[in-house]
Amino acid sequence: MTIAVIYKWAPDAQEASVDTAGRVDFSRAKAQISDYDAVAIQVGRQLADATGQGLVGLTVSGPAGGQPAATKAALARGLDSVLVLADDGLDRLGPSAAASLLAGLVGQLDEVGLVLAGDSSIDVGARMTPALLAGQLGWACLTDVERLDGSASQWSAQRTQPWGVETLSLTGPAVVALSPTAAPLKAPGMKDILAAGKKPVRLVGLAELGLTEPAAGQLKATAHLTGPSRQGVVIDVSDPDAAAQALVAALGQAGLLIEGRA
Amino acid sequence: MSFELTDEQALTREAVRQFADTAVAPLAAEIDRDHRAPLENLPAMAELGLFGMIVPEDLGGSGAGSLSYIIAVEELARRCATHAVIVEAHSSLCCWPILTYGSPQQRQAYLPDLAAGAKIGAFALTEPAAGTDAASLTTSAKREGDQWVLNGQKVFITNGGFADVFVVLARTDPEAPSAKGISAFIVEGQSAGLTVGDPERKLGIRGSSTTPLIFSDLRLPSDALLGQEGQGFGIAMSTLDGGRTGIAAQALGIAQGAYEAAVAYAQERVQFGKPIARLQAIQWMIADMATDLEAGRLLCYQAADREERGLDFAVQASMAKLFCAQMAVRVASTAIQVLGGIGYTESYPVERAYRDAKITEIYEGTNEVQRLVIAKSQLR
Repeated sequence: MTIAVIYKWAPDAQEASVDTAGRVDFSRAKAQISDYDAVAIQVGRQLADATGQGLVGLTVSGPAGGQPAATKAALARGLDSVLVLADDGLDRLGPSAAASLLAGLVGQLDEVGLVLAGDSSIDVGARMTPALLAGQLGWACLTDVERLDGSASQWSAQRTQPWGVETLSLTGPAVVALSPTAAPLKAPGMKDILAAGKKPVRLVGLAELGLTEPAAGQLKATAHLTGPSRQGVVIDVSDPDAAAQALVAALGQAGLLIEGRA
Repeated sequence: MSFELTDEQALTREAVRQFADTAVAPLAAEIDRDHRAPLENLPAMAELGLFGMIVPEDLGGSGAGSLSYIIAVEELARRCATHAVIVEAHSSLCCWPILTYGSPQQRQAYLPDLAAGAKIGAFALTEPAAGTDAASLTTSAKREGDQWVLNGQKVFITNGGFADVFVVLARTDPEAPSAKGISAFIVEGQSAGLTVGDPERKLGIRGSSTTPLIFSDLRLPSDALLGQEGQGFGIAMSTLDGGRTGIAAQALGIAQGAYEAAVAYAQERVQFGKPIARLQAIQWMIADMATDLEAGRLLCYQAADREERGLDFAVQASMAKLFCAQMAVRVASTAIQVLGGIGYTESYPVERAYRDAKITEIYEGTNEVQRLVIAKSQLR
């Protein structure tokens, strides 16, 4: 049996900058495996070791995702191998199209019974890709999972709901999206980094899989924040007292403080 | 000539940076303030593989290579110079001489545990009356039957307070010319006759455990001798060649951290109605710091790259250490200048960087010693 983890090679959101007009600039952000996906890989590694299964990474990406820098970064996190669908235009897919292609990749694996995903995978914050992938595969789906244990065929998942902590039993194949708290995020070790280059990488294109780029409507982030406009107020914090007063004044001016209440 | 890092080197930087940002940075100010070693971080550093980077895979390390190791030291120092020197002294000054001069039995006995971080290493050369003039050391090792008996005192031993394995230099032949009569030994931290003194209270790298060691009739088995009898001074000098690249990397990291703090502050601090980064006076400082860093990085990486490729690198290591040490002091000072009054306080890490940087001009060979090495190479 095999456990699969879907991941994405994408610009690091921490390195994006936002200007005073709300425009997000990713031009100086380096691509990386996101912390969300790294948590999913980490949980997958623990489960694979505990149940004696293999751990395969799956990604759909533009050509950059198939470069050694990208595959080694994923493999260094603990995957045994990766299967990468890298082709022109695939780095701008919406969740429906991405899920459709990921389902095609899952179909390439033998005896996969569990697909793990990070909390915020692939879909511009919509958090729908795991559910859409499960729909494509006809599998069960769970999201926000904080703990996952079990054997090769039966899994026990735990998650926190507004009414308390619930435990769910999963039998049969499933797609599970993990909460960022499902495992403490660890940097890859030096031995893992050096071993990454020796692990199997299978690169495929759409044509090789007999797939075409899905015709589903394209969802594209405009990279423009909406909602309350940014005021661009910069407060000098070198004098803490003056900074606190300036903050209170700015909040008051924006109508965000109610007089007479703490 | 390629100036690009390999994928593995780039991943090493990313991994160590992540660790330094999340586990090292939160402790840095506290251990500096309290003059205490960050022992709670050693298990995580071991798990990451930071203690086995220059040890080959067959001896339990990762065999990551000199340049990856240098990058790791740089990234640790970017957040905390103390963490960097713990790794540097362990790797360059203890693992390296055992790897290079140790017998197969000694390598097998010590390196797997050192690489795993199960044991921490240190190097004991300096004495109260033998600093830069290391050949004048007086700690003695006398042969008695099939044992060596050590007596004497060492000072300023990095990792001294918690090290499990020491490479110790001692005089075995008092009749021989000063450098010729010195031998190297492997001494275990729990040996009877070894007393570890109180840690020094220092200007910088305050979390680094810098202690004296006292040897009182410390008995060593004959196989504790590292290399050949009388080879010790050569072992010490070649060990310090590699160590110098490590200290250059430490200096580079200190400077990088100070520079980043200065740039961030300059973009936030408003004077005369605009961020001070828009003032040309500040821009010139930032340009000079960035240029200094780039030059230092090239020198440092070149020395490490030459070592990795098996080329002579002693002179390049001295050049890297000399330049990076002075550069770190210069950049940290300029960073404080950018921040102004607040930079002189503990509110920002630049004053710590300034204090930490100074030692890189002194230990593992002063600036003056580096100049001697460099000048000798130029005047042959």
